[in-house]
Amino acid sequence: MEKKKLFMLLSLLLVFSFILSACGSATEAPIEESMPEETEAISEETDAAGEETVEEPASDAQELDVYRVAMLADMTSSNVWNLFGPGASTYNYVVQANYWPTLYAIGDQRFDLVPFLAADFTSPFVEEDGLFVSTVVLKDGFTWSDGSEVTADDLAFTAQVVNDFELGGNWGYWVNGVDHIEAVDSKTAKIFYTSQPGLADHEYGVLQNSIVQKAYWEPKLVEAYAALDAIADLDPESDEYIAGMAEAQQIIYSVDSEGEPISGPFMFDQWEVGAFVENSENSDYFFKGTLIDLYDDGTYHEVKGDEWEFTAYGEAEGNLILSFENGPYAKAVVYSIYNQDAAVLALLNGEVDYIYNPNGYGPGLRSQLDGNADVDVVENARNGWRFMSFNFKSEPLDDIAARQAIACMVDKEFLTNNVLQGAAIPVNTPVPVGQPFWYNPDVTILCEGFSEQERMEWAVNRLKEAGYTWDTEPTWNEDRGGSVEWGVGLKMPNGEYVPELILLAPSAGYDPLRATAGVMIEQWALSIGFPVSAQLTNFNNIVAATLGGGGNWDMAISGWNLTPFPDHMCDFFLAEYGTEVFAFTGYTSDRLSELCGEFTSTTDLAYAKELGYEMQEILATELPYLYLFSNPVQDAYNVANVGYPYLEVLGGLENLYGQQINVYSAE
Amino acid sequence: MKKYILRRVIQILFTLIIFQTLLFIILDAQPGDITNLYLLNPKVTPEVREQMRVALGLDKPPLIRYFQWLGNFVQGDLGVSFSHYPRPVMDIILERAPRTMVLFVTNQLISFGLGYFLGKQMAWHRGTVFEYTLTILGVVFYTIFTPWFGLMMIYLFGVQLKWLPIGKFLDPTIWRNVAMDANTLFYYIILTAIVAGALYLLIISLTRKASRTVRQIVRFAGFIVVAGSTILIWHMTSYGYLAGDILKHMILPVLVSTLVNFAGTMLLMRNTMLETLNEDFVMAARAKGLPEATVRDKHAARNAFLPVFTNLIISIPFALSGGIITETIFSWPGMGLTLLEAVNSEDIPLAMGTLSVVGVLALAAHLIADVAYAFLDPRIRYQ
Repeated sequence: MEKKKLFMLLSLLLVFSFILSACGSATEAPIEESMPEETEAISEETDAAGEETVEEPASDAQELDVYRVAMLADMTSSNVWNLFGPGASTYNYVVQANYWPTLYAIGDQRFDLVPFLAADFTSPFVEEDGLFVSTVVLKDGFTWSDGSEVTADDLAFTAQVVNDFELGGNWGYWVNGVDHIEAVDSKTAKIFYTSQPGLADHEYGVLQNSIVQKAYWEPKLVEAYAALDAIADLDPESDEYIAGMAEAQQIIYSVDSEGEPISGPFMFDQWEVGAFVENSENSDYFFKGTLIDLYDDGTYHEVKGDEWEFTAYGEAEGNLILSFENGPYAKAVVYSIYNQDAAVLALLNGEVDYIYNPNGYGPGLRSQLDGNADVDVVENARNGWRFMSFNFKSEPLDDIAARQAIACMVDKEFLTNNVLQGAAIPVNTPVPVGQPFWYNPDVTILCEGFSEQERMEWAVNRLKEAGYTWDTEPTWNEDRGGSVEWGVGLKMPNGEYVPELILLAPSAGYDPLRATAGVMIEQWALSIGFPVSAQLTNFNNIVAATLGGGGNWDMAISGWNLTPFPDHMCDFFLAEYGTEVFAFTGYTSDRLSELCGEFTSTTDLAYAKELGYEMQEILATELPYLYLFSNPVQDAYNVANVGYPYLEVLGGLENLYGQQINVYSAE
Repeated sequence: MKKYILRRVIQILFTLIIFQTLLFIILDAQPGDITNLYLLNPKVTPEVREQMRVALGLDKPPLIRYFQWLGNFVQGDLGVSFSHYPRPVMDIILERAPRTMVLFVTNQLISFGLGYFLGKQMAWHRGTVFEYTLTILGVVFYTIFTPWFGLMMIYLFGVQLKWLPIGKFLDPTIWRNVAMDANTLFYYIILTAIVAGALYLLIISLTRKASRTVRQIVRFAGFIVVAGSTILIWHMTSYGYLAGDILKHMILPVLVSTLVNFAGTMLLMRNTMLETLNEDFVMAARAKGLPEATVRDKHAARNAFLPVFTNLIISIPFALSGGIITETIFSWPGMGLTLLEAVNSEDIPLAMGTLSVVGVLALAAHLIADVAYAFLDPRIRYQ
């Protein structure tokens, strides 16, 4: 009996201790689920930048023995043809995207378009035998890791392979209209287009494609070319040809690329599948030691002793806003594979220096990171936005007055700061502020800085001007700090009541920020009389209803990630420039169409910028989309071990794949 | 006996075809395909997506794809992975399976051995504090939320005490610039375990008819010699420290899996042992004056062992896929994690391939269990 009592007591103590330990660890346990990653990403490319604050120059940066990066998934391929084709994945790019040279690249922090392998900007287009030709001259002294020079032959060979095998994805030669590339001499190449390309196809397309070494790849592609020869006489439209081409592509994607020469700051060293990848420093990297200066007048300047100097976008007459010496400072980069929770613990434990984590951190993980003095979490705006689209096939949303009235009521500062508690950054324009080259600083922002009363009054007046009436007009009630007395019975200019409007937003389980925004917008719209009903639903349902073209919707909240070149201002709204899938709102604008026609065909960057300014103004006032906010990118790194020349950058360190080139030792 | 085995083989082959058919139908019925992942990427035009569908064979009617799949499966060709394109699925499975096997066979053997031993003792000491304590502990571990428990163990041993690694199966700082790849080492570890296990089984077999004292001494000495020789041989090779690193990384996942899994075996063993202890033959053995240990180990435990053994055999193949949680928590890139990644990335060939392998192993395990049962329980042979 005594034993039983003792046993009962012990059992109760045991259970109690488990309950205590469970409760106690609730705030500490790293079991937060990360927010699901959007499926709507467009590009992996990087982009530019933020505030005009002078960053610490990193010219005295310290060498780092090894930069330890935690990744949440392994890379899947090391074959370059596959990597920029079907094998494209963010984790492949973290490790390998910088291996191969491109003619041009996107500059640091501000994301200026700058020559990389090219010595200067390309020549203007000239016509030769019905083709449009641009000439590019390559830098001297730009070498592969085996010591040989990168030549125009390499460029021509790469384009030829891509065209021959019809490689798609991020390979953009034949897709962008390149007929062929001719090596005039070892350092001069002529790019032949079938039609005159615009900036998107040329500067932001072909010129930023990777280039491989001909001497290495030519003998490796014999089998793949034999497969091509076998289908050479077939009709390109026939099933046999398509199947044969698929087989040839599979051969080229399967070629073992061990020992391939590269020209980037790091080269492949070791891959232990599922555990880690290691890159080692390429001591011959051309830009190592190059001083990069950015000025507030827009000037981009780089200089490498007496060897190389380049200036663009100004005369370096303004104030210096960023100056640093290019790396790499790390002798090696080791990418270890962890799940998210383990990665956070590894960072807290000092086992890794940076976590490449596109999933973001939930509150639990974030509080763990914030509680460690050696770890810093930096937040930057994402190059993209969450937005609400209006369905132009639904009355009265085809009316600009209705859209502007609803847009005016949406107080984004209040939404992001008060309701979402700073978890999102308000966005007002089609081009993010962090892209200073393309961003129009004078773009109209409806009802900016208005109080709730002013918003209501502006919206009511806008609707009245357009002929809308109410059974009971919304008014401002001063009682208890003031609030809107809701309008009732809103009638359209034709006298009919506004029908019920469905607002689709992702469910809270998928994205609590957008779900909350959906509910708030519903309330704001209701307050001025629009009978809006927010439906929080599965994200796939929203995609099916909008992009899929089959849904019953009037307004929908979703999001896009963007590319550095803002042709999304055309692609997302006009079917003739993108696809019907993307232009799902039904919005049309003759002026935007006209501007897009010029924007996509011009080769003049300054003129494109001018056109882009007007396009931003049209979209910001005609409102096919109401831009809401962007999710901040959170980057966690170990301040005790590593430092970066700059931290304020659109898309964060994540968009720069952890800034491997310029990371230095913090010691 | 041959007829019995033949009948079971035919039944299992038939079941395998039904399994494969259901697998194909269920996975093929999922809406969309891998090319839908590119639907929102303007750079991947509808034409390029169609080209991808052709390349992956997704343009063909389901019936043709089914027969192609079945035919290829019979030839050991599980297709090409979408997410690891153009790597063959079989290649990926062969790469991941050894890691899972090493981890989960170790876990299964330890948790089974522990569960069997403790279950036997619990039944023998029925009604004591020992039994109650183990029952409660067993139920707690059996029902514990594995991800939480795993993370707590990592936090305790990996972060606070810093005794054990946080995750993965190796330490990059040790493996940097090492010529041997981890998979080869896994194969060596498996080979070593098989040889050492076979040697020890041989010692057990040879000492079966020896007296109890001699048997115990020889078996213990044999264990020491086999284990010691194994460690010595590994130590003499230049890769011993690498194997040590892998074993060090195995401790925490094996510990967690063992604690979570041993209770099932233990409670099953306890229940069957309790039933067996009430059998007349146990009373007869006691009445003959046999030592208690002999009654417990030879008469009761051996008879109670049958359902526990079946449970072990059948659970082994599921450990390959059922390790999704453990492998995810400990960043252990084995079959479970591969299956999870395949599902997340809509890599249907890889998901089907992984599940097919699990299915084949499960059916093979059933066959082995049936055959082993026939040997362990003569009544089945004579039916």
